Amino acid sequence: MAGLILRRLATAIPTLLAVILLSFLLMRFAPGGPFDGERPLDPATRDALIASYGLDKPILEQFWLYVSRLVQGDFGPSLVYRDFTVTDLVAKGLPISLTLGGLALMLALTLGIGLGIVSALRPDSRTSSVLGISSTILTALPSFVTAPLLVLVFGLTLGWLPVSGWNDGATLNLILPVIALALPYAGAIAKLTAASLASVLLEDHVRTARARGLAPVLYLLRHALRPALMPIASYAAPAAAGLLTGAVVIETIFALPGIGRYFVQGALNRDYPLVLGVVTLYAALIILFNLIADLIYGWLDPRVRG
Amino acid sequence: MKAARILIAIVALALFLPLILPWSYAAIDWNHVRSPPFSGGHVFGTDSVGRDLLTRTLVGTRVTLAVAVSAALVALVIGTAWGAIAGWAGGKTDEIMMRIVDALYALPFMFVVILLMVVFGRSILLVFLGIGAVEWLTMARVVRGQVLQLRHRSFVIAAQAAGAPPTAILRRHILPNVAGVALAYLMLTVPQVVMVESFLSFLGLGVQEPLTSLGILVKEGADDMDMAPFALLLPGGVLVSALVCMTLIGEKLRDRYSR
Repeated sequence: MAGLILRRLATAIPTLLAVILLSFLLMRFAPGGPFDGERPLDPATRDALIASYGLDKPILEQFWLYVSRLVQGDFGPSLVYRDFTVTDLVAKGLPISLTLGGLALMLALTLGIGLGIVSALRPDSRTSSVLGISSTILTALPSFVTAPLLVLVFGLTLGWLPVSGWNDGATLNLILPVIALALPYAGAIAKLTAASLASVLLEDHVRTARARGLAPVLYLLRHALRPALMPIASYAAPAAAGLLTGAVVIETIFALPGIGRYFVQGALNRDYPLVLGVVTLYAALIILFNLIADLIYGWLDPRVRG
Repeated sequence: MKAARILIAIVALALFLPLILPWSYAAIDWNHVRSPPFSGGHVFGTDSVGRDLLTRTLVGTRVTLAVAVSAALVALVIGTAWGAIAGWAGGKTDEIMMRIVDALYALPFMFVVILLMVVFGRSILLVFLGIGAVEWLTMARVVRGQVLQLRHRSFVIAAQAAGAPPTAILRRHILPNVAGVALAYLMLTVPQVVMVESFLSFLGLGVQEPLTSLGILVKEGADDMDMAPFALLLPGGVLVSALVCMTLIGEKLRDRYSR
């Protein structure tokens, strides 16, 4: 276990550095700069600003400076939201994005595993084929189509739920964004669960449980579900990452002040430290999720520990 | 297969119907601004500045599909080459190449695409090259797995024993056997790229006005949906049907070839 974590950390650090370097260079090659507003600044002010943020130094030195500050937990100042550091902005936006992504992941897992169990309980039935097709349709529905549709039905026509906004995380404001974010993942998880349960159900230990006369629900939950969840564990890590980055879409549509919106704004305004900070954070989170998935994998299947 | 027929119908309509429709995708009908379907000869109605929605939806479908197919092809070329080389070379080379793929999986994908768009401005050509350059990872993994299996099959060993050069073996024996799976994953990559393209256009980073794409139409429809819900429903419906059909076809192909 400790060995796995150490090995992961050993690859995580070069990966993170590569991600930071890539985004750093991409940002710098983008035309335009953070101080090119609609009203041009006078050249002296502009030069002074550029010098005060150290943007006149050679690019590799800037990169080195950035990384050495990052190691100390300093993401640097935001160039566009003056008076704010990137850490401030991230601290404001991250809880919102994490709430959104976490709730959506829970919904997707509950709905997906539930639908998967239902369709595995009655294989080759009408129910299971209908569920199969609907899961595929769910996975193919992009959230930027479902989100406006949900708003149209539940927000505008029926008037049950608010159309957009965060409202300090009020439950009503969260419902539509979480559903829109979770649905494609729920579809994929339902399909995975159904397929994997179907193959586990053919194994010897399940046949024994059945021969002992256990009710389907019992042998399913007690004997078949745990091994069948393995593929879900390995799917959940990229899914969690996808939910986080996918939240960018949802945050834009529902006007939620999450970290994704800061990223889009930052990229458009050439706010270099903001963009780099968000990318670094997300890459670190993705690496972390993959590690957690591996640990869960070991818990579900003792054979892969070691 | 029903999905294939629907998809072919959508593609055919998008390619040919605009040729005979009386409106161009950028033409404004001042007498019918934001009018509902079937008014003034506009079968799908018009958008908020009076452009024919049917024409715009079809032209948008064209643009979206063209971008998606090109990007998926870029992903196919990079992914197949990378996977085939890694699988064929084996050993240290394979290890390093696949580690790079693992590392790239940790990239916050959507963010990199947005960065690429910002860097390359708003050119459609670069939009799809950029998306394709990020979408090849799964393809590389799948192709490598296939090549690893094929490498030790007797017909490949026979070809090696007969003294065939590696490039010839790759071309004559390996690639034809990988083609089926690669095609299946190509089919599954296309809908993913469609989603990315539409999302970028939705943010205003993709295709630029007056040219349009399904993503832009969905966005315009969403902005205007309290006044004119049909402007969201029609392009949204076309987008969803195309995505669902492609996913169904891709999954069927994958199940057939990966057994």
